[in-house]
Amino acid sequence: MQVTTREHLTAWLDGLAGHMTLIAPKTVEQRVLYRPVADSSEIAFDFARTDLPVKEHFLPPTDVLLSIEKGKEGVRLEEPSLEGERTVFGLRPCDARALRVLDALFLKEPADPYYAERREKTTLVGLACREMGEQCFCTSLGLAPDEAGDVDVMLTEMEEGGGEGEKGRGGEGRRRYAVQVMTEKGEAILGALNLDKVEGAMPVAAVGSKTPVLEAGEWPRLFERAYWARLADRCLSCRLCTYVCPTCRCFDVRDYEVPCEGASSGGASNGSAPGGHIERLRAWDSCMAEGYRRIAGGHNPRLTKGDRLRNRFYCKFCYYPQDYGPIACVGCGRCIAMCPVNVDVVEVLADVATL
Amino acid sequence: MGEGSELIDKIRAKARELLQGGRVDCFIGYEEGSRGRARPAFIYDPQDAERLIWDERCAHNLVVYLHQFKSPLRRGEEPPRVGILVKPCDSRSLNILFREEQIERERVYVVGVTCDGVRTNGRPQERCRRCAERVPLVYDIVMGGVPNVLGRDDYADVAKLEQMSPRERLAFWAKEFDRCIRCYACRQACPACYCFECVAEQLDPAWMGIAIDLPQKQFFHAMRAYHLAGRCSGCSACEEACPMGIPLSLLNRKVAREVEALFGYKAGQDAETPPPLATFKKEEQLPM
Repeated sequence: MQVTTREHLTAWLDGLAGHMTLIAPKTVEQRVLYRPVADSSEIAFDFARTDLPVKEHFLPPTDVLLSIEKGKEGVRLEEPSLEGERTVFGLRPCDARALRVLDALFLKEPADPYYAERREKTTLVGLACREMGEQCFCTSLGLAPDEAGDVDVMLTEMEEGGGEGEKGRGGEGRRRYAVQVMTEKGEAILGALNLDKVEGAMPVAAVGSKTPVLEAGEWPRLFERAYWARLADRCLSCRLCTYVCPTCRCFDVRDYEVPCEGASSGGASNGSAPGGHIERLRAWDSCMAEGYRRIAGGHNPRLTKGDRLRNRFYCKFCYYPQDYGPIACVGCGRCIAMCPVNVDVVEVLADVATL
Repeated sequence: MGEGSELIDKIRAKARELLQGGRVDCFIGYEEGSRGRARPAFIYDPQDAERLIWDERCAHNLVVYLHQFKSPLRRGEEPPRVGILVKPCDSRSLNILFREEQIERERVYVVGVTCDGVRTNGRPQERCRRCAERVPLVYDIVMGGVPNVLGRDDYADVAKLEQMSPRERLAFWAKEFDRCIRCYACRQACPACYCFECVAEQLDPAWMGIAIDLPQKQFFHAMRAYHLAGRCSGCSACEEACPMGIPLSLLNRKVAREVEALFGYKAGQDAETPPPLATFKKEEQLPM
């Protein structure tokens, strides 16, 4: 088993941050979020789960897909160049699995070039969970809090026997991590990281109880049950659950005129014609929104919030597995933790198993 | 809330009676949720009244749910009649909706409860510390003992905001709104936000666009605050629903205080006084 210390790890991360974008858990106004960091001092090492998943760095909330310039020489189309090489550090196994789930759709031919390029240019360094959090249910979805199969390098903090002093601030640098290199990409990124070979077993994370998950094929017969409307009585029909979800991936694409530099509020601009600069934006959308499914003529096949809430669960556990393979839920528990009205997916899974 | 189970029994009995007698089609209260949480409950069957609870975890403003009972459940029928449990703060939202003719008074049977304050994750809510209204303002029946506590609002948080320079204030709000993910949980949890189509989501014309960037976030929150001027009951449902911890109550309290200073009006005190921003007096005309 190869191990490294926090001290070596931070030195290595500082080195990485010097020549590529380093994205890591960072405390922002009492929330822990994956953010680009300048060096390791900004990284939050002790967190249960980040408040938002890592998806925003692969499917950004807003992404410029295309820039259209109309000038005297004709129309010029330009694709904005994406970021360079990146490393995501401190990825939890559920968030790493969520990327695999997104891969099933976005990398399926014809692949989404924006997602694919970001994925290609990013190395994933995982940080195993020592135990499952209060709302976590990853084991019900076939994962484990120390699952290493979805990252390039996995770090697992070692249990240090008895040493209370180790937990103090002075001891942080001496905290040890088991290092598992999972891919060639991982091998390449490790480079200068100081590793020691030691005898011993990998630390094993504590796991909680499992919730049975109904097979995709079992869901259609439950579609018309009154259960969904009753469940949705308390649903606020906001987009929270979909936006904090690591696998919800719906988006909208629209073209917008970009106001010219120096344009006045009246719309006059400095020489170039109105509508001269257009941007094609892609931004997150949500099936929980009333207008999401509205079609030309005004008809809405998912008019009630019960229709919409049901769709969210069917998408995750029935449609997505049938269309792309994996279940579109990794058991991170963010929607459970953050839903203002206690719509609890674990409770729903238990309920549908008895419907 | 000290009476505990006795009060819960009274609430359940009332809900059962209302449903059995056909006075209401649904009773909206609270029930035991998962993981030790309390959550909104919708009782249609008198037997299910047993699920109802009432304690300091019952923080949601249930008045927001009245909007889903404004139209008939089945085509050709009358809209349903609803029973609802309200705290004093929630009762102000009720007055706002009655005044704005969103729901007829006689369609709602209001079970008011006196309140000593609610908690979120075991912490007393800020607004409860400030709350001086411990008895609902509108009800058909009121339950619960004489409240033990009375809060006082010194608007210290608003004063702190007012002391900032405009530049500092802009920076403060930009930092707060930057965390917004445009999930609209604040708007959806708000009883006073009930437009069929929100300006933020309107596509034709597209006032805001779909981008989830700071300009859209700032515009959305500023717009919502303005639309709530003189209409916000101060229930904090928006702030409680926000997954990113944005201090939305602070913004709403600032606006509410301005409205009170300008017009001597506090939202939700009764269902009759015309709200200042929905009325026009000739003498209010600005000099041309």
